[in-house]
Amino acid sequence: MQYTLLITGSPYHSKACHTALRFIRAALNKSPDSIKGVFFYEDAVLIGSQVAQPPRDEINLTQAWQEIAEQHNIPLYLCIAAAVRRGIINEGESRRYELEQHTLAEYFQLEGLGTLVDLMNTTNKIIQFR
Amino acid sequence: MKHTLIHLNTSPYSSLACKEGLDLALVLATFEQPVDLCLSGAALALLSDTQQPTAEHGKNLHKLLAGLEFYDIENVYIEKNHSWLDSTTSWQGVTPLDSTEWQTMFSQYQQVFRF
Repeated sequence: MQYTLLITGSPYHSKACHTALRFIRAALNKSPDSIKGVFFYEDAVLIGSQVAQPPRDEINLTQAWQEIAEQHNIPLYLCIAAAVRRGIINEGESRRYELEQHTLAEYFQLEGLGTLVDLMNTTNKIIQFR
Repeated sequence: MKHTLIHLNTSPYSSLACKEGLDLALVLATFEQPVDLCLSGAALALLSDTQQPTAEHGKNLHKLLAGLEFYDIENVYIEKNHSWLDSTTSWQGVTPLDSTEWQTMFSQYQQVFRF
């Protein structure tokens, strides 16, 4: 069984990103190939900000997801439209909008909803965390 | 090919959830994936004809409803007995379901996403 995770809940207004993180750790612990990819949509894209700085005595959720991506080679996709409107911008979008900075954290990538459709069709099950 | 249900349950104007749920439905349809919609709770306000949202409220999402058929999104379900949904001032493209049909509907899709 291979899963794709669709995460839509804000990292600040919900526990969606936290719960999904616990799920993905458990799934990978049981089967290293169990996760096809993770797609962040709606306010969940805020997880991909490289400039957000949580207090030092709290979990750094972005860093926790980056470690998952690095250790298990799992792609972390942010919906490009949802991300750009919320200020999560990669180098390419930064040039396109003639901005001086970009804010996308390492290991995250901006993709269209077509990528989510592709994940839906190539994965056994997709689970939404909201 | 998986049959998807997009369940809208939040107000069209209190957050972007309703808009981004509709966006996903339109993208699925563009990629020729079978997709239906269902509305409940505050999302039912989407059906009202008498909306005049300002720029601060956000886009007039009601106008999207008329275009759904061009994306081959043919089924938009609501639960029956919403007396406040005056039939003369609400969008007529919905299929009302009784309570049993409404509950059964959710198990008939491979994927259900909620916004």
